[in-house]
Amino acid sequence: MKDILSFLFPGQSQEVILMISVIITTLLIVSGVLIVMRKFFPEKNIKEIVSRTKSWWIMIAIFICAIFINNTISYICLGILSFFAFRELYSVLHFRQSDRNALLVALLAIPVQYSLAYFTWYGAYIIFIPVIMFLLLPPILVIKQDTHHITKSMAMLQWSLMLSVFGLSHLAFLLSLPDIDGFASGGRGLLLFLVFLTEANDIMQFVWGKSLGKHKILPNVSPNKTWEGFIGGAISTTVIGYFIGFLTPLTTPQVIFTSAMIAIFGFAGDVVLSAVKRDKGIKDMSDTIPGHGGIFDRVDSLSFTAPAFFHLVYFLAYPPFQPFELIF
Amino acid sequence: MEKPFFKSTCMKLVYKCICKPILKFFVGIQYPDCSFLKNEKQFILIANHNSHLDTLSLMTSLPGEMLWKVKPVAAEDYFGNTKLKAKFSNFFINTLLINRKSKKEDGPNYSINKILKAIDDGYSLILFPEGTRGEPEQMSKMKSGIARILSQRPGLKYVPVYMTGMGTSLPKGSGIVLPYNATLHFGQPTLPESDDSYAIMDQIEKDFAQMVEKYGIKEDDDDDD
Repeated sequence: MKDILSFLFPGQSQEVILMISVIITTLLIVSGVLIVMRKFFPEKNIKEIVSRTKSWWIMIAIFICAIFINNTISYICLGILSFFAFRELYSVLHFRQSDRNALLVALLAIPVQYSLAYFTWYGAYIIFIPVIMFLLLPPILVIKQDTHHITKSMAMLQWSLMLSVFGLSHLAFLLSLPDIDGFASGGRGLLLFLVFLTEANDIMQFVWGKSLGKHKILPNVSPNKTWEGFIGGAISTTVIGYFIGFLTPLTTPQVIFTSAMIAIFGFAGDVVLSAVKRDKGIKDMSDTIPGHGGIFDRVDSLSFTAPAFFHLVYFLAYPPFQPFELIF
Repeated sequence: MEKPFFKSTCMKLVYKCICKPILKFFVGIQYPDCSFLKNEKQFILIANHNSHLDTLSLMTSLPGEMLWKVKPVAAEDYFGNTKLKAKFSNFFINTLLINRKSKKEDGPNYSINKILKAIDDGYSLILFPEGTRGEPEQMSKMKSGIARILSQRPGLKYVPVYMTGMGTSLPKGSGIVLPYNATLHFGQPTLPESDDSYAIMDQIEKDFAQMVEKYGIKEDDDDDD
């Protein structure tokens, strides 16, 4: 399989190719087990897991094509992911009719933010949404002169933009990080590490919670989340992170610390979005992905882990990285 | 009624290959599974009306095979005001134009008579009983014409459809589409329980009240005003 993958994605490092083959092998094993189970234990209800696994195949296929075929396509696809996530978020939050203009302007921030990442203009990229959009959007809301609940709209708009565009755009900026000597995988390796570990953390917390979970951690937010799931998941994630640390330029203690951070921030993202869904009285953000719910149900942890991971790696492995030297 | 091959293929192409992907991926309309409509020979889709997107999203959600024999009922004064517009909408949207101000004395041009004739010809219909696009996310009172039609054609099923978010995506008076996860909710094909138009109206209103209760946007109850 490695040879086929090396042929399909020339220019990718051996580590990345190895990782992709590990992912595909894992999925093949899971699918195999599910097919056998359906054949020999037809009375067991595994319908949801089957549709989830099917969706995983599609998501991983899209992800690999989007990230490893062409550099420009990677940025565009990540931008589209942000667009879907942002649209889903503001549709669920129910903005007022008079907020339409501000929402349209906020949508325009997506191409700008991803272009800044594409052209590696770090200084502008990092302030564009937290500073420029933060100052620009409230006046646009005010122009409509509808002050009823306007504070809520201001807060919700900036919050959704931060989460779905600023947060997720860190995935794109990982690709723009410069090469380091002796680290062949580059930004793609880091991206693969982050996405794989975040999703693995989601799955591990789910599995540990299902099998051992007794003590509820946040019963009023998410009744299915338990201490056992959280701790078991965090430990498994750290162990997995240790083994796939070859995708990053980090030293072993750094990899362990970073993986633990991904586990904690992933959990945080998950429960924050659960709380929002509970407030709005819905179970899933939408029904785009069969078995999973909406796009944001899948990337909720990612919108938290991406900035956390990016800035950790940026701090640990990229000093003294001065982005302006790259442009000028 | 024979299936016009050219028209049917054209409509399938336009709706399923062009309109639906745009509506689904760019606008973000969420389509439920509507294959159950394939089993129905003839029906009237009754939907709430908030936006120009309504007709388009209803048409794109229908099974492709039946598109050619579904006629959305539209206002003559709005969609038929120029010849070109009327021709175009007749080929691609298959509209049945009615005059909202017509009276019983107009004979075959009376809106109800026009609709009944289309039903007798074998067409299924899309009807917005509110009569016009109302305020976004609010249902206004339905007009009784639909009940009169159903009472005169017993055995004809109606399918209630409740749509949310269309008015936010493209409200009345706005020319820009805001991408929005608008949703269509299909009810079951239902036979009117009686042939009295008042009872039918009550039944339809009850159906919609249930759907609004189930899927409608709940306003915050902590308002301090």
